[in-house]
Amino acid sequence: MKKKSEKTSLLSRRDVLKIAGATGAAVVFTQMVTAGPLSPEAIQGIGRQTHSQAETSTKHQWHMVIDLDKCIGCEYCLRTCQAVNDVPNDSMRWNVGFPETTENGLDFYMSRPCLHCQQAPCTRVCPVGATWVREDGIVAMDYSRCIGCRYCEVACPYDVRRFNWKLSTEVNPYVDAWGTPEIPRRPRGVVEKCTFCVQRIDRGLSLGLTPGVDPQATPACVDVCPVNARIFGDALDPKSPVSVYMAEHDTFRLREDFGTEPKVHYVRPTKQKKV
Amino acid sequence: MAATQISPPITGKQTHRLSFTFSFWVAALCVMILIGLFGLFQVFTKGLIVTGLNDRVPWGLWITQDLSSIGLGAGAFTFSAIVYLFRIKRFEPLARIAVFVGFIGYTSAMIALATDIGRPDRFWHPLVFWNVHSVLWEITWCVILYSTVLALEFAPILFDSRIFRRWPWVSRMGHIMHKGAPVMAVIGMALSMLHQSSLGATYGVLSGRAIWFKPSMPVMFILSAIAGGVSLTLLVTILTSKLTHRRLISDELKYEVARLAGFTLLAYLYLKLWDWAATSYYSHAPGTADALARLQATTPYTQTFWWIEIVLGGLIPAIILLYPPLRRNDRLLMLALGLIVAAVVINRWNVTLSGLVVPPDWSPGILGRLVAASYVPSITEIAVSIGILGYALLAITLGVKYLPIFPHQQTRAETGD
Repeated sequence: MKKKSEKTSLLSRRDVLKIAGATGAAVVFTQMVTAGPLSPEAIQGIGRQTHSQAETSTKHQWHMVIDLDKCIGCEYCLRTCQAVNDVPNDSMRWNVGFPETTENGLDFYMSRPCLHCQQAPCTRVCPVGATWVREDGIVAMDYSRCIGCRYCEVACPYDVRRFNWKLSTEVNPYVDAWGTPEIPRRPRGVVEKCTFCVQRIDRGLSLGLTPGVDPQATPACVDVCPVNARIFGDALDPKSPVSVYMAEHDTFRLREDFGTEPKVHYVRPTKQKKV
Repeated sequence: MAATQISPPITGKQTHRLSFTFSFWVAALCVMILIGLFGLFQVFTKGLIVTGLNDRVPWGLWITQDLSSIGLGAGAFTFSAIVYLFRIKRFEPLARIAVFVGFIGYTSAMIALATDIGRPDRFWHPLVFWNVHSVLWEITWCVILYSTVLALEFAPILFDSRIFRRWPWVSRMGHIMHKGAPVMAVIGMALSMLHQSSLGATYGVLSGRAIWFKPSMPVMFILSAIAGGVSLTLLVTILTSKLTHRRLISDELKYEVARLAGFTLLAYLYLKLWDWAATSYYSHAPGTADALARLQATTPYTQTFWWIEIVLGGLIPAIILLYPPLRRNDRLLMLALGLIVAAVVINRWNVTLSGLVVPPDWSPGILGRLVAASYVPSITEIAVSIGILGYALLAITLGVKYLPIFPHQQTRAETGD
């Protein structure tokens, strides 16, 4: 049969053509993935086009400082966040806080929103691109695209993301006392997270306000803090509250060794406080 | 020893009379499926709140079942590649059962996944909304494409069955499709190599999760999948042969496949040795060392890794499969194959859970380190898993009984008709 004739030479003409074809396909594929339509840049572009809406350009980079030395652990930030973003269930808090102790025995109150990593592990793994790093640095969510696979929860090293295990119909105990909901409650089966109150930032910018300075354009947790332990603003603007504060204080970020490049910075606790 | 005399041809009368044991077995499997359907109903009406999962441990039993079903379905691509691509024809008697078991494995995995995601109504989103940087996106595509390949590989077997005997053109179409087997084997191998490995990469690429973050993950997953898939294929064959008192494959082939599984296992164990030595013994990566220490202090996963995965699921079966006097004993051979299959499942559970129950410590204080997560599957979760297992076992049972899965069976059935 034909097998015999092929065996007489090491590579038949057909084999050579096959190999050439396969190599060509491999080159084209590599090209597409590295620089072509499937490259990181191109894909991010696709995401932007489909998600766009009120998205701004790279003119702003939203950062936050949490001064652990100032924080008194009143938990106002956690409660107002739950009211404004309509998170009725305490186990689904976007802002997490708990009493902590430093290695040399200083008590302090540790709190964290989403850290809005520039190299966010959660956005990388999403199989449908339902979460992405916006041009202004905010890690956003598209609740209508999320399939609820929870890979982002698995990937996030900071335990930031929350899944809607059930349809949440309960009355939000924080509403009215701590604020009014500004966004609709999320449906069952999708992942949600802190957004730096993106609704305030986008609306504020369109009204000509400055996030970090004007309260209506600033995350609710920053506004409510009675001791100004949370500072917010545009890191690209040297005069913004966040830039000024970071210039005046030594700050660190959580687990820099992960290479996630968070946009939330912390000031170390230095004095003993009653928490 | 396997029966040496050739069994009498099956007559039409015999095949229609079902034994009590068989009926009881099928009824038991149907009960399992009913239990599963009850669980599914709970999940779809109340949401995933009925599971034992939480935001710390968002993946559990179903993901383990999903990873195991796909892993144990790897016999399909292994035998297709051996028979249709490398043209080692003496393995051909096992090609059909391998494809069949693989097909059931992949469909089981898809049921488990559809139950596990929060929005099953959006299962098609990965096909429309692309994120090529997500391993899960790649896996979704590969699994869907490969399931199609498996269905096309499986179709000729189905078309060959007695049901389609009255329409000869169906059988003819099946034979035409079978001519495409080598092409299917190539596509299937490419797709399998990709997603069997990327299932490991699902964990291996997570740079924020020190316990998982290593490049060995994809390799370990595909090697264990090949060992497990080959073992399950052979185990199903031997079991069918015992239960039906028919010789389905020659002893030489049986021992050769056993050796193949043994050597794959040996390769796996060797890589595992270096995986452990390089990351935990000869080096000290702070994140990994810290996570492993906490794992050892607070969970049984270190023990289950060494004793169940390595000794019981690795070394013992490897010795049985590679030492001829031991593997010639059918009971020991089945024990070894069963141990490998069980070890693949336990490995997928250990990999998933060990990374989740010891979350990274991100607090600048010292109390945050005490935070540990826990997970126990709920009754509903277990019910759904039992249902999926029931489906898989029922499909295999009915398949080996009524479909021409084993070539000899087919020829005898034909002479009987």
